[in-house]
Amino acid sequence: MSIAPAETATASHCPYCALQCAMTLTDSAGAISVGARDFPTNRGGLCKKGWTSAELLSSPDRIVEPMLRQPDGGFAAASWEDALDLVADRLSALRAEHGADSVGVFGGGGLTNEKAYQLGKFTRVALGSSRIDYNGRFCMSSAAAAGNRAFGLDRGLPFRLEDLGAAETILLLGSNVAQTMPPFVAHLEGARAAGGLIVVDPRRSATARLTEDGAGMHVQPAPGTDLALLLGLTHLVIAERLADREYLAARTTGFEALRRSVGEWWPERTQEHTGVPVWQLREIARRLAAGRGTYILTGRGVEQHEDGTATATAAINLSLALGLVGTAHSGYGTLTGQGNGQGGREHGQKCDQLPGYRKITDGAAREHVAAVWGVDPQSLPGPGVPAVELLSSMGRAGGIRCLLVHGSNVVVSAPNASRVREGLAALDFLVVCDFFFSETAQFADVVLPVTQWAEEEGTMTSLEGRVIRRRRAIDPPPGVRSELWILRELARRLGSPSTFSDDPAVVFDELCRASEGGTADYSGLSHELLDSGVAAYWPYPTGSAGTPRLFLDRFAHADGLARIVAVRSRSSAPPESGTLTLVTGRLLEHYQSGAQTRRVPELAAAQPVARVQLHPATADRLAITDGAEVELANARGSVRCVAELTPDIRPDTVFLPFHFAGDECANLLTSDATDPVSGMPEFKRTIVTVRAVQRELSNA
Amino acid sequence: MPERVVLVGYGPVGARFVEELLPAVRAGAIELTVVGAESSEAYNRVLVAEYAVGHTDRESLEITDPQEARDAGVRILTGTSVTAINRTRQTVTLGAGDQLPYDRLVLATGARANIPTLDGVTRLRRDRTRPGVDPETLDSADAPLPGGVTALRDLADAETVLAAVRGGQRIVVLGAGVLGMEIALAAARAGAETCVVYHGETPMARSLDRGAGATLARSARRAGVAMIDHSRAEGILFRTAEDGTRRFDALLCADGKQIGGDLLLLSCGVGARTELAALAGLDVSAGILVDDTLQSWADPRVFAIGDCAHVVSRPQEGAAVGTPSGAPSGLIGPGWRQADWLAARLSGEAAAPLAERAASVVMLKAEGVDVAAAGDVRREPWDTYTELGGRAHADGCATPSVAQWADPEHGRYVKMVTLAGILTGFVCVGMPRTAAELTLLFERGGELPADRSVLLRFDGPDYVPASGADAFALDATVCWCNGVSVGAIAGAAEEGNTTVACIGSATRAGTGCGGCKGRIGEVLERFAPVE
Repeated sequence: MSIAPAETATASHCPYCALQCAMTLTDSAGAISVGARDFPTNRGGLCKKGWTSAELLSSPDRIVEPMLRQPDGGFAAASWEDALDLVADRLSALRAEHGADSVGVFGGGGLTNEKAYQLGKFTRVALGSSRIDYNGRFCMSSAAAAGNRAFGLDRGLPFRLEDLGAAETILLLGSNVAQTMPPFVAHLEGARAAGGLIVVDPRRSATARLTEDGAGMHVQPAPGTDLALLLGLTHLVIAERLADREYLAARTTGFEALRRSVGEWWPERTQEHTGVPVWQLREIARRLAAGRGTYILTGRGVEQHEDGTATATAAINLSLALGLVGTAHSGYGTLTGQGNGQGGREHGQKCDQLPGYRKITDGAAREHVAAVWGVDPQSLPGPGVPAVELLSSMGRAGGIRCLLVHGSNVVVSAPNASRVREGLAALDFLVVCDFFFSETAQFADVVLPVTQWAEEEGTMTSLEGRVIRRRRAIDPPPGVRSELWILRELARRLGSPSTFSDDPAVVFDELCRASEGGTADYSGLSHELLDSGVAAYWPYPTGSAGTPRLFLDRFAHADGLARIVAVRSRSSAPPESGTLTLVTGRLLEHYQSGAQTRRVPELAAAQPVARVQLHPATADRLAITDGAEVELANARGSVRCVAELTPDIRPDTVFLPFHFAGDECANLLTSDATDPVSGMPEFKRTIVTVRAVQRELSNA
Repeated sequence: MPERVVLVGYGPVGARFVEELLPAVRAGAIELTVVGAESSEAYNRVLVAEYAVGHTDRESLEITDPQEARDAGVRILTGTSVTAINRTRQTVTLGAGDQLPYDRLVLATGARANIPTLDGVTRLRRDRTRPGVDPETLDSADAPLPGGVTALRDLADAETVLAAVRGGQRIVVLGAGVLGMEIALAAARAGAETCVVYHGETPMARSLDRGAGATLARSARRAGVAMIDHSRAEGILFRTAEDGTRRFDALLCADGKQIGGDLLLLSCGVGARTELAALAGLDVSAGILVDDTLQSWADPRVFAIGDCAHVVSRPQEGAAVGTPSGAPSGLIGPGWRQADWLAARLSGEAAAPLAERAASVVMLKAEGVDVAAAGDVRREPWDTYTELGGRAHADGCATPSVAQWADPEHGRYVKMVTLAGILTGFVCVGMPRTAAELTLLFERGGELPADRSVLLRFDGPDYVPASGADAFALDATVCWCNGVSVGAIAGAAEEGNTTVACIGSATRAGTGCGGCKGRIGEVLERFAPVE
């Protein structure tokens, strides 16, 4: 087949998840087609979401000019000039009347590094507000907090993804990669061939099924008992003398306290709490210690809890007790979910953070970053508040009165959705940057249309900490602007100090300088260098060649040692009789709030409505049949959806995907209680009742 | 002025209480003194049997950091006995005669091993007016056990057993309760020649019904433990060692049988250490009587937790006092819950009432022999069976229903006793996954599926829900990455796509992780149009 000369091919990556599968985008006469490109992470594969991703570029739903809320409640198009003037005027007025912290900014883990960086700078310099956080608080914050505390540094996978291929044992806790990032599965082949893939999930998910036929073991604990499971495994490792004492002595501190703290989790007690039989616990512990390459990987299933930081810490402690971390063949990692979930948590859109993964409370960090920005360090605000607290302050005394939303759909993705809706409605002013009228945009006063992935330049940092290039393959529609341009224009109107470039390469250079000397040091990088094809794993300080494998010689704490922090499992009251535990999660066909994937016809056709999975025995008791309409309810709200009966789920558990909106929105039920360390909400252990909806016979 | 709390007993429950009280101690609200008789610091008694056969190290038994408590300001006196409580003066008398004042006194004195009546063994003195003074021999002051005879309660006992196991000695376990069965199975696994002698028909008769006990006995025999039933022990025969000391030689049973061995391990249950409390005029039954706030019946300043505490409501004023119902559970879980709750209360936290839990689950700690049980499992399937099947009669009473599965040949036995669909008791032998699920259902009060056999299938080789399904059914998924079914591939094949690569182009099957390419080939073979 010959390629017509009119076609241009651009090497880029998928817009969706953190695997960032490599793609070739071919522009033929203004339409983009997607091809898979060979790359170490996806090895030439793409999933259904990736194959269909270009359909959104020409979606009829696309917003192509700024939209302003009208007195009648509808929206009308406006010029950029008018829209930006309005936004700047309102921001200035609110700030003058209620103080800088009355304006909040909500970012996203899908934004490029350049946008995430610029958003943090814009908030602190142009708005002078401390009130910025992002939706990564809902996914990565617990593992990030645990990683920083233990290792002094948080890079989701502190090794190359392809290194997993050589391992004979992989313990995967709370992650359904076969559906959320399918091409990842190829990296589990080595462990499967060795019979060593261990998947911990209350559901027999597509990933759990990969353990069948001798490829490993599926462990099905009751939801919310992962911490007890990990403490029980650590107990066994120590009791059966499988711990690596030499490693512990040379490379860690705190083992003695860990040893004592897990003394109470002997296997039978662990079984009593988790529902995982003792023989499985013993087999796992022994297999993990068998050497020949062992990795422990965690996902949102174990992290999205009120004790998520403790659970991630327990997984790290188990890895350290086994001597896995910072070796040439084994390790611990957390699987970042969002496209730029890694980079998005490094460069300043977290409430307590400055670029380079620096702490905003650290005087030296403030000075360094202020110098790059050309402002007085004193002028930078202090730490703000994490996402759930930020959102629940909307419309409350002392809370935010105005919110700018970028790359996030909080109406669907934040916990306790009814409260979020109330809060958004109570705001004085809401600005949403998006390419569609997302459920959040529908609450906005101003909606600003922005570029999609194939229409922009930038960088993303994938789940393995590799900085990769996103490239422009097609021009955006004429009325659409980049967020960098919008921030530049707003900063100018607000009379902001410092400069705000709208050129991604320039912004990236500034980001690299701002990160210099920080934990996530990008100072040796540039778009130009990345375009040469280097495999750039951070830290990548000037003059280095990056760091594919971290911690080989030392951890990032000053003394080079990893911190073992003993954690305890607080026994919570067992769920009331007659209730079920709801876990939420993702489907293969959809991504996050579904704002994008529900608009791809092929994906929407495959999964058009929210379906709740429940066990046939449970359904039988509740007189629910497959395909019946059911209601899930608790004190926070209720959800209407369709029943899907499957023996793949525990009888005491139901599963509902969180991609759907309106009265199908799973987060109408979830609680906004959060982890005390990370601010992570409790998404994976919600108590609900389930009933069949009685259809009334209509005589009309 | 901080409140002075004195804790007597530094076992696992006492240690938990100390840990939970640390915040209040650090805050200066409480001044805590701990008096423990054992000279070693608190350790996990639950694992003593594993230590006794060398399965785990001494340090794996540690469950608390006394240094952390000391750093917080807790005074810990180990190797010290308490000989009296003077409730009027609010002091306790220590072994050396010192007086220790308290505002609140918490007794966590635990339990001691019962010593059965056997010719040749002096029974433990149960003199309630004279608590032991020497902390080393608190439980055996005037009556040390003869050589080659031991209980299994503390570290010293465990070391005696460990020496026997390591020395390849023959071990005779008297008593087939949980601990007796655990140590026998563990010792056999460690290579020791082991037998269990018990007087009933089946082991663990307090927790298991006949069917479960018989199944367990069979599994134990298979694991190399000689199970000697219907044997009432009456005395001990001794042999004289070369150094002139008398040592255990054989157990003598009522039927005249002699069971020879090198070590006799007495596993005949435990009794709460209550003499201190009794001497101080506190009410005592199977343990120190405390109400559901763990406060002693007689004195609002004195509390008891753990194995020494017998929780039962205080009788109404003027009501006739019979023998109080119940007994200490002897399990660690309830003890820890009591410790947590009392520490929260003494710290001034508004604690919800100590939740009444269903009876605790008993689980045998033995590798390869899985037994779990809870509640009353004596009822049989056809006992007073009514058509109402567990639903309430008109007069409000209800009859439990029983479902049962027995497969002695393969060592499997399950009984589920339910009231209106909720488990009130169960026993499960040889089916670990089922046992784990039943445990959760029992503790959470979850309703069982109407088809109880659902619960039996977890341990089956077919427990891969869809593996029995037809892999070539048209709606079976082949490519998970792209959600492509057998039907879609068959359709594409019919349209002339005859290679895996062509199928990939037509349906995207195999274009994700690539793991399904083999299966696509199989589907093609089956569905390819016949030439």
